[in-house]
Amino acid sequence: MTNYILKRLGQGLLTVFLTVSTVFILVRLAPGDPAVSYAGPLATTEQLAKVREQFGLDRPVLEQYWIFLQQLFTGNLGTSYSFQAPAMQVVAERMPYTLTLATASILLTAVVAIPLGVWMSRRPDTNRELGVNVLTIAGQSMPDFWTGIMLLTGFAVLIPLFPASGFATWGGLVLPTITIAILQIALISRMVRREMTANFAAPFLTVARSRGVRNSVLTWRYAMGNSAIPVFTALGTRFAAMLNGVVVVEVVFAWPGVGSLIVRALETRDYPLIQATVLLTALLAVAVQLVIDLAYPLLDPRVRLGKAATA
Amino acid sequence: MNAHTDTAAHADTGHKEPALLEVRNFQVELITDAGIIRAVDSVSFSIHRGETVTIIGESGSGKSTTAMGILRLLPEDLAVISGTVLIDGVDVIAEPKAINKVRGKTLALIPQDPMTALSPVHSIGSQLSEAIRIAGAASKDKDAVRARAIRLLEQVHIPTPDKQLKKYPHQLSGGMLQRVLIAIALASEPQLLVADEPTSALDVTVQGGILDLLLELQEQRGIGILMITHDLGVARLISDRIHVMKDGSFVESGEVQQIVEHPATEYTRALLAAVPVLGPWDETPALPASETPASEDPAANGGDGAAVGNPAVDTTTTAGAGLTRTGVRHE
Repeated sequence: MTNYILKRLGQGLLTVFLTVSTVFILVRLAPGDPAVSYAGPLATTEQLAKVREQFGLDRPVLEQYWIFLQQLFTGNLGTSYSFQAPAMQVVAERMPYTLTLATASILLTAVVAIPLGVWMSRRPDTNRELGVNVLTIAGQSMPDFWTGIMLLTGFAVLIPLFPASGFATWGGLVLPTITIAILQIALISRMVRREMTANFAAPFLTVARSRGVRNSVLTWRYAMGNSAIPVFTALGTRFAAMLNGVVVVEVVFAWPGVGSLIVRALETRDYPLIQATVLLTALLAVAVQLVIDLAYPLLDPRVRLGKAATA
Repeated sequence: MNAHTDTAAHADTGHKEPALLEVRNFQVELITDAGIIRAVDSVSFSIHRGETVTIIGESGSGKSTTAMGILRLLPEDLAVISGTVLIDGVDVIAEPKAINKVRGKTLALIPQDPMTALSPVHSIGSQLSEAIRIAGAASKDKDAVRARAIRLLEQVHIPTPDKQLKKYPHQLSGGMLQRVLIAIALASEPQLLVADEPTSALDVTVQGGILDLLLELQEQRGIGILMITHDLGVARLISDRIHVMKDGSFVESGEVQQIVEHPATEYTRALLAAVPVLGPWDETPALPASETPASEDPAANGGDGAAVGNPAVDTTTTAGAGLTRTGVRHE
């Protein structure tokens, strides 16, 4: 067990290292010059040269990378060009907002999608099930920026129930959460239905029915208990993905999270800020994935961590 | 054909009390893409206390569909059942809800494949305890349920029962799981057991043990058993009466001895012929020593717990597969 965790942590750190290294190279390959963004379009060549010298951008890329590596191991990724503050600190200040939004979205998804999927699996081929089925396909097909703008227009402008942007009050959390959750609910509920339908047809369910187990117990304990792993994995993976910033939704709702931060960092070619964002979100994603994997043996006794499956 | 009707069989055995299971003109129609198929066509039979009635037939003859239909375990949107099925006097066809009163109480199922018949993510103990609670007989007290669970596992001859309770299905062999399933079935002290090919998924060396257990329980408790099998060896060993099923209806019914010694139909003769003979080996062409079938030496396969099957013994359960040797198994 400890061995397994250590091994997974090592793999995770390697993943994070490779990710930040790749990003380090990619942002420098991409067109655009941080000095121009920083000094403005009217800056003279001398001013630009000075800025580059100040940021260390006049040095060879390999030397920049060496400096970056040294910074990486001290946990200090340099100063953000646009914020003039330690890049890690800028990202860390934004992280709670993204965490709040991601947690709210995944909770709403779980609370709606699991009962919805179970409901659909219990009533196959009825008109109401067909109606919900069509709705989930619609939910899957609507792009989130469009859903966001529609919700904004509807419930912040026409009927001013919720604030249109920012996170000044808890009410501000409602519309972005719903925007993210609509797509996730559509995907997860269909998955729950698929898993439940398969388990309803499983021999152990028929045998349990034969010994007088009630329908509600068959549904939740037997069918859901056996659907837990794929559903839990999907929820966990989606949560990890949301931590990288729910970029479009954060921009639409001017949410002060990591997603809108990375958009700004990319626009201004703020290399330290981009690298710090990627480092932190990659670390979080790896941690979440590890927690998911560690939970598997609790959900399914057949899972043995770190060993190949036996029949 | 000229076989016994059920009333005749009934009269023969001279039962006074009402039957545990009385099936009359039972019919199952399956709704398929190709149209409606009558899988079970006007089947009638009855089972009394302490009796074992076997339905035998080849794959697809409708024998398992009959059993599942009687238990109302066929998917309701795909199977239409009709006729009369009285379980302990209650008509479960006329009153669909009535089945809930007998399931897990007077009636229990022993399934075909023990390896898939228990939920893989719940422990043996939790599934057995659940059955005990549904049966309602024992106290709901946790320790009492546990004590009863251990006693049930002892009755089906599972060693160190207290240790098995914590285990999950994948940690036990097929034979052990079938014993667990029998223990679960016994939790409610049922009067009627429906055994749907209870040994066909098991290694031959394990099959005998399971059948012995069923016979032992029947002797102790006077349970009625409906046995579904394609294996005439199993049917002969355990049955009082046999119904031979083909294409959804009984082609022949009667006492075991009569069916085996004087089969009235070609189909029954074919089923009989499909049983390999455990006779003197000089009947067969000489085999090189290395190919001597392992069935000669079942001890080599180990006991009940041995999970390894031997491919050489598979043919013993293949019914109607065109084995041409004739003759009745020596006893």
